[in-house]
Amino acid sequence: MEEGLLVRKIDWGTVIDHIPAWRADRVLRLIDAEQLAKDPEVSVIVLKNVPSRKYGRKDVIKLYHHHMSRTDAALVKLIYPTVTVNYIRDWKVEKYQPELPDVIEGRVRCPEVTCISNSKRDPVVRRFRVLKEDGYIQCYYCDAIVEFSSIPDLAVA
Amino acid sequence: MGEVLVSLKGADVVSSKDFTRPMVERVFEVADEALRSPERFSGSLSGKRVALLFVEPSTRTYSSFHVAARKMGADVLPLVDPEMTSLTKGESLYDTLKMIEGYGVDCIVMRHPARGAARYAADVVRVPVINAGSGSQEHPTQSLLDAYTIRRKRGSIDGLRIGFLGDLRFSRTVPSLVYTLSLFKDVTMHFIAPPALQVRPEVELHLRKRGVSYDKVEKQSEIPRVVGELDVLYVTRLQKERFPDPSEYERLKGSYRVDMELLSNARPTLGVMHPLPRVDELDPEVDGTPHAWYFEQASYGLPVRMALYHLILGG
Repeated sequence: MEEGLLVRKIDWGTVIDHIPAWRADRVLRLIDAEQLAKDPEVSVIVLKNVPSRKYGRKDVIKLYHHHMSRTDAALVKLIYPTVTVNYIRDWKVEKYQPELPDVIEGRVRCPEVTCISNSKRDPVVRRFRVLKEDGYIQCYYCDAIVEFSSIPDLAVA
Repeated sequence: MGEVLVSLKGADVVSSKDFTRPMVERVFEVADEALRSPERFSGSLSGKRVALLFVEPSTRTYSSFHVAARKMGADVLPLVDPEMTSLTKGESLYDTLKMIEGYGVDCIVMRHPARGAARYAADVVRVPVINAGSGSQEHPTQSLLDAYTIRRKRGSIDGLRIGFLGDLRFSRTVPSLVYTLSLFKDVTMHFIAPPALQVRPEVELHLRKRGVSYDKVEKQSEIPRVVGELDVLYVTRLQKERFPDPSEYERLKGSYRVDMELLSNARPTLGVMHPLPRVDELDPEVDGTPHAWYFEQASYGLPVRMALYHLILGG
């Protein structure tokens, strides 16, 4: 049973495919929800634990009428390397291969409460270096490290 | 390329992770000279202005940066009372730094309670920033005087076995010293602390990436044996306020006490270091023994900070 049988194809938007089963909610945390909510035409369709030829089971997210940012796509790919991102325009599919980022800016909060990047007074841009071989991101300011899998818990809009 | 690594001219000193061995050795050479012939440095910073922005209490670090700058003839702009800088009135660190930079200073020495504050400051201002303590993150200039002490006492740092005992999680001197010592060859490190106070994950990651041999000693019963193998024992204060359970602190404080009984297991040449201030973790009885390096260690704060000023602002 392909997911196509469950939900129809979309003519415009983003399909985030091959998400590990039951991880769609964590992927949604990484998508800038404020941006999504700005557009009244946007619908979000979440499929969980659907059959996958490649992986057995998978989750899929369809963002109808919304193209997720390439930065967010890269962040999702960093945490879930199996993910593929397809941008749809007038039924045409662009398979996007996000490049893994070297730096993540703005979207992830440092877990260290005493880090200057969590200061309410100072206009500090949150910034992490991506330690690809080690599976961590590291706060540019305070050096705290975060496993890739914990990034969704620290995502900020 | 080598010259670039050695040169500190105009550089920020934010983290010991940024250090290179040639740079550290250059600091040692100049510190040796500052000890041998301090008069050579008098007036060498005349016309320079150094701001000391200390948003957290400090005795040794502040005074050694202050005295070093004055000895070298620099103007010192002391901003030790947070009231003076308006930080306590809600001013951002950004605004404070911009204001200080506007006074035409050549360098800002800063202590701040927030982790990462020094890196941020270095990005905000054009002049060099020297990190004199960034919360529980780092204290890189302390690590230089600590490493300098080891080098003076032992002749070399390569091949030594160094134990760190006490609160390794919230100590800012420990990560910086670990990073600095990781530049030397065949240094082995033992982290002696209960699990709740063990070294932070990023410190371990750094050691793994550098290929440095280390282990964690978490059982009290193993402490005497490990101390018996060490060349240097670096002791830090157990910080009562960090313990979730006060009775745990009471239970542990005795076990992490360095006294003559513990040192009866040590090699005769073992050096005991402490960034000071000490509370109960280091028995004053140790002071009179050849193991006690800590007051000499504190005295090297001055020549090492003179060396840093010289290399960053003069040279």
